[in-house]
Amino acid sequence: MGVNISAPYIYVCTRMRMRKSKLLPKEEYQRMLNMSVSEITRIIGETEYKQEIDELGTTFKGIDLVEVALSWNLAKEYQKIQEITPGTLKQFTQVYLRTWDIQNVLTILRGKMHGEKAGKIKEILVPAGSLDKIALDRMLAEESGDRIIELLKDHRMFPVLAREYPLAKEANSFARMENELYKNLYANIINDAKAGVKGGASFLAYIQLEIDIKNVKTLFRLRADKVDEEAREMFIPGGSLSLTDFASLNNIKDLNEFVDMIRANISNDTLHTLLDEVKTKKGGVQYIEARLTRVQLEQMEKMSKRNPFSIHPILVYLEKKKYEVFNLRALARGKESKLPSEKIVDYLVM
Amino acid sequence: MAAEVAVAAVSDVGMSIEAIKASQYGMKAIGAGLAVGLTGIGTGVAEMGIGAAAVGAIAENKDFFGLGLLFTVIPETIVIFGLVVGLLLLFL
Repeated sequence: MGVNISAPYIYVCTRMRMRKSKLLPKEEYQRMLNMSVSEITRIIGETEYKQEIDELGTTFKGIDLVEVALSWNLAKEYQKIQEITPGTLKQFTQVYLRTWDIQNVLTILRGKMHGEKAGKIKEILVPAGSLDKIALDRMLAEESGDRIIELLKDHRMFPVLAREYPLAKEANSFARMENELYKNLYANIINDAKAGVKGGASFLAYIQLEIDIKNVKTLFRLRADKVDEEAREMFIPGGSLSLTDFASLNNIKDLNEFVDMIRANISNDTLHTLLDEVKTKKGGVQYIEARLTRVQLEQMEKMSKRNPFSIHPILVYLEKKKYEVFNLRALARGKESKLPSEKIVDYLVM
Repeated sequence: MAAEVAVAAVSDVGMSIEAIKASQYGMKAIGAGLAVGLTGIGTGVAEMGIGAAAVGAIAENKDFFGLGLLFTVIPETIVIFGLVVGLLLLFL
């Protein structure tokens, strides 16, 4: 059946469902669109972010307070979930959270490259992955990128970092390294999921969905930017698309044909509805990306209902929480830069 | 030949009325035991899932305590039915 009915699974999955029900509803975002940054801070100070807003209220002000409180809350939440998940669920959760390691390491490297102060970089780190606060502090204390990489000697992403960092330094851009790190991460995750551990199949289903959505997002972005960069390098293997499909999709100029080809290659009802919408309605790439993320979340929600006591309810919550934080950050940042509400809406996943 | 063996066996096993009564009572007691024991296991299995979910919900929101407790004990009815059947068997 693929359904595990042991008590710890039921316990954790129920907790995740309860937490998910506490996330901000769509109407709340609509209300916040008409508010100023200080009002948004006050509103989120009354919700799950109360503790962080109270703690940091004395040190930070305005937009910084929102940013730091959101990152802290996200990290705290992720650490807590790792504590309460049992057995293989814990293993999968940790594997999933490794994306944060990549993000943190790249943030530190990029920050150091631009000569940012350690304190400033620290504000936007989310210590949710296997690299905890102490490890990240140690990396922040280093001045050169090479020393930072050396500190990660025992980490799973070290081989890729060691191979790609000199090239990235030369090119003065971490884009290629980022792609390689993610490719390596997904390859590792697929290996772990296929290792025959109980519940691996449902984890694999989620990973394939994520890879598919990521590839489709990349395709839409490539279309919008019309960059000459080698598209093949941005492809992440493991999903429904093959490398040749990806390359040929990228070469299609006509939007209708492009959409039909994606439809033919990836079977996903929610995605198909969105693609039909894209054909008729013109929206910016930001809007399409937010909608694609929505598709992913909806699909995950369906999967979590099919397997109520598996890794899926946990992943749904982790993802939804992440996008709640992204939304609030986008809202606060947008308001701070005095963007019109219609523009901010495009960035929100709701 | 076979009939003779059967008759011999019957006359061997339960000859006196007292012995037959005692054996009937024994069977009832076993039945009652099974009724309570098996329904107890059923209740346990049913409460495992509900209890785990209830504790999970209470951990997130204390307001669920009353409701969680109520739902957790609903499968108790199964073992109560077993108990009733057991009592009926023994005393009726």
